[in-house]
Amino acid sequence: MASTDFVRTAAASWRARLGTAAVVAILAGACAAPGAVPASPTSGASVAAASATAAAPSGSAAATTPSCGTDPVTMNAYFETGFDLPFKLSEEFTKQFPNVTWDIKQDQFTNLMSSTPRLLSGANPPDLIRLPSMVSLVKDGLLKNLDDYAAAFGWDKFPPAQLAQNRVATDGTRGSGSLYAMGLNYSLTGVFYNKKLAQQLGMTQPPATVTEFEGLLAKAKAANLLPIMQWNATASGGGLAFPLQNLMAAYGPTDPINDWIFQKAGATIDTPTNLTAAQHLQQWVEAGDFPKDANAIEYTDANARFGKGEGVFMFNGDWQNAVYDKDLAGNVGFFVFPPGEAGGKLAAMSAPLTYGIATKAKNADCAAFFFNWVATNDKARQIDVTVGGSNPGGPTDLAVPPAAAGSVTNETLAAGGNVAKDNGAMDFIANATGSIFAQGWTPELQKMVGGKQDAAGLLKAVQAEYEKELNR
Amino acid sequence: MTNAAGEAGPSPAIARSPTRDSRRRTARRIVWTQGIRRSTLVGWLFVTPALVMYGLFVLQPLVLTVQYSLYRWDGVGPATWVGLSNYVAVLTEPKLLETLFNAFRLVLFFSLIPVTLGLVTASVIHRVARGRIGALSRTVLFLPQVIPLVAAGIIWGRLLSLPGLINQGLTAIGLGEITRAWLGDFDTALPAVGIIGIWVLLGFCTVLLLTGMTKIDAALYESARLDGAGWFQEFRAITISSLRYEIGVCITVTVIAALAAFDIVYVSTGGGPGGATAVPGIQIYILAFLERQVGLASALAVVLVILVLLVILPIQRLAREDAQ
Amino acid sequence: MRVARREAYAGWALLVALMAVTILPFVSIFTTALYPSGSAPVGLSWPADPQWGNFLEAFKVANMSALLFSSVLIVLAVVPVSLVISTMAGFAIGLLRIPGSRVLLLLFIFGLTLPFEGIITPLYFLARQIGILNTRLAIVLPLIGLFMPFAVFWMRAHFVNMPKEISEAARVDGASTWDLFWRIHVPLARPPIASLAILMSVWAWNQFLLALVLVEDPTQRTMAGALGAFQGHYATDIPLLCAGTILILLPTLVVFILFQRQVISALLQGSVKG
Repeated sequence: MASTDFVRTAAASWRARLGTAAVVAILAGACAAPGAVPASPTSGASVAAASATAAAPSGSAAATTPSCGTDPVTMNAYFETGFDLPFKLSEEFTKQFPNVTWDIKQDQFTNLMSSTPRLLSGANPPDLIRLPSMVSLVKDGLLKNLDDYAAAFGWDKFPPAQLAQNRVATDGTRGSGSLYAMGLNYSLTGVFYNKKLAQQLGMTQPPATVTEFEGLLAKAKAANLLPIMQWNATASGGGLAFPLQNLMAAYGPTDPINDWIFQKAGATIDTPTNLTAAQHLQQWVEAGDFPKDANAIEYTDANARFGKGEGVFMFNGDWQNAVYDKDLAGNVGFFVFPPGEAGGKLAAMSAPLTYGIATKAKNADCAAFFFNWVATNDKARQIDVTVGGSNPGGPTDLAVPPAAAGSVTNETLAAGGNVAKDNGAMDFIANATGSIFAQGWTPELQKMVGGKQDAAGLLKAVQAEYEKELNR
Repeated sequence: MTNAAGEAGPSPAIARSPTRDSRRRTARRIVWTQGIRRSTLVGWLFVTPALVMYGLFVLQPLVLTVQYSLYRWDGVGPATWVGLSNYVAVLTEPKLLETLFNAFRLVLFFSLIPVTLGLVTASVIHRVARGRIGALSRTVLFLPQVIPLVAAGIIWGRLLSLPGLINQGLTAIGLGEITRAWLGDFDTALPAVGIIGIWVLLGFCTVLLLTGMTKIDAALYESARLDGAGWFQEFRAITISSLRYEIGVCITVTVIAALAAFDIVYVSTGGGPGGATAVPGIQIYILAFLERQVGLASALAVVLVILVLLVILPIQRLAREDAQ
Repeated sequence: MRVARREAYAGWALLVALMAVTILPFVSIFTTALYPSGSAPVGLSWPADPQWGNFLEAFKVANMSALLFSSVLIVLAVVPVSLVISTMAGFAIGLLRIPGSRVLLLLFIFGLTLPFEGIITPLYFLARQIGILNTRLAIVLPLIGLFMPFAVFWMRAHFVNMPKEISEAARVDGASTWDLFWRIHVPLARPPIASLAILMSVWAWNQFLLALVLVEDPTQRTMAGALGAFQGHYATDIPLLCAGTILILLPTLVVFILFQRQVISALLQGSVKG
């Protein structure tokens, strides 16, 4: 995929948000989730070797913190088309540091997947680039090791889980090792709902259990409303993976799911609790809780239809907040998918908006300074929330800036805090391997919608595809 | 002339040409045959630019495709020699093999139906609408052939969607219960893509066959009619047999369009749902540029190229033999 | 040839039905394009308040002037070069009948059946290697190469039928091969060259796969490639998408209507000869 296109674009808008390799913890500064995910065990010798030769920062390393200096600097940046956040951040940055100007090229997220290696290894390596994936880039030595910067700027004082997702170990597993990227913010997924329609069903507060949620689905059906709007077309990819993973986390622990995503040895998705989850999903499908034409609905269509009042619920992420606020002003709510039993732990898929620096970048110091500025500058953090709709992350002692009153962003930010408290962050099952989504989840979920696949078969097929890809 | 050129083999011609050149420059008048050897060289110079572009941007990549197909390569890192295992995968992995079957299913829609319907339509125009209506229908039916296939995909994507025109029409005539998202339904997605192909290719076939029909000697029909032949007999005995060559061309063009389909499928279904409309072109694209399995993509590409040749060559041979 | 009246009516009915089916999709996107931007019109109906401004809006948001410029540039780069070099090659193979011309011809004919997908993967890496990826050259150069089989074949078919006497007379008058080509045969070959020009322009304009894979920026692409991108950006605004689609296919439609006879006969001859 080398270009801006429909098939890509449709997928890109949400894949861009959950597309990256990431174990995630939502780090609501306000709630300051303590060590949401265990600090990455980076002590292994191999890891130390992996970090750049001069990685180990001696105590005096931070004598001069990297910065953009005072001479004119032109940042060579690659951003993602269709999302304002990095553009707004770069504008604000230039306002505060007038010697820095930007040469911004943009592309669809999915295109970046194919062009990133070329861009990073090319003649004019970007100082700042949106990263669709990391591991292979790290393997090829194309991404700058950020360990030095982390030490110099004190990123190691950020909640460890925040950085863990951007670490890659020498054996190519993610979650630990040297730091190769930073998140501009941290997104959260869950269930959006149409407040008017939900009220009609008598929903006064978000459901506390899956059973309650399923009760609402039945009520919606009875009221002749579409219970869930969800995309499942090929180009956008199987959106039913969202509710499926939420169900998995409701009926089982999140750790095995993350293990599977991180390709831990012997990990399987075909577990008894996941089977329960898939069976629930199958029941929803068979009950007609999803649109009849789900397999033909692209991501953008689904949002448009939800925005026009079709569907009580929709599984999606906070990157869509601004659009929902516009389409369903004051009428859209959000909750994290409920646990299987009342009082159970909350869990949600979540991912950082990952950016990296080319190994050969000319202005690496300035780019690192930019990362630090985004995480710590008040104005930048405010832009993160208002424009990006997501948690800015950063050090725990900084409060999350407020979102506009009545905006659904307030609900997603609050929900993020709750997920963090429960240590319930998950990476997305679509990210386990490069093609597990396109070759595994999407076609199998489509088959389920088409009545050609059942819960058990779905998990078996995906697991088989997973093993095949790992053995390649 | 062919003989003359044959006498002067390429290598001596090149070797001797400098002397000939100098001699010729002095000669005021030259005899036509004397120019042959020099013109051999000049002739090759005339071919060279086209050959270079063709060689660089078609033949070279073709050779590279074959080369890539023997490796496992992600397009960035080092490549690993894997022999024929990519081909084994193409011919054994259901997901890849299925794309080849789908391509042949598309032939039914892209080729068989347009050619058959085109024959009928052309003969109708030929018989009853030679004047303005004939010209108008020629133009109108040809329209889809000139627009980008991508546009055809977008237009039909709307028509075939759940709230689209097709379903509205079906509901209006009391067939509401069969309405569906035609491109998103497992049983109908491939035929729905096929319908787009019919729409695009029907005009082409019709007009091509019509042109062929106008060349048929009217006396043939007259005598057939005197013998009391009906429309169908006439159609079979005269029209079809006189049009073998044109039919062959139609089949060739449409079969290539089916086997190498990309634009329409890419825009309308992306290969889904669940691979129901995945064709080799789409899978090559996905493998090479989304999944970075360059070797596997290339093996599938080679298989596709060979398949097209295997299908087209016999058709061409048949059509040409019959025509001569 | 007289035909029974009943048969004539049945025939007309069939033709009218087929024409309707062919035209209806165009009509439906046209009416849809006139609905207020952002609405979700269904089916076939004339809007109460047609929004002609949608076309202007689509022209703006699709950055149509840049797209037109890019497509024209690509066509202008591809077509003249292809015409010149394929005419030269066709001349050499068909008229000069240089030694090896049979093999050459077969080599080019082989390319006629080659699906673009067969070589798209290496083309990407080749373009990357020579540094033209994401530039219009990445479309232009391969497209010239890919047009060669057909173009050479086409021109050769013309030259092979030229009477030998013309060339002989010119030779006797002392014309060089170049003179023979440029002064005598190219003027005579104007009709097939014109048809070929129209054909290649339409094909270049409509080329999708090369644009999709080799160029990321829609404003550096062909029209068809840009349409793909446009659909991505405006998939939710259906009237605007339809307006944009119409704008994008309008140029080819206009060319077709203007040069109808040439386009049809060119396409037909092209395939028959192929």
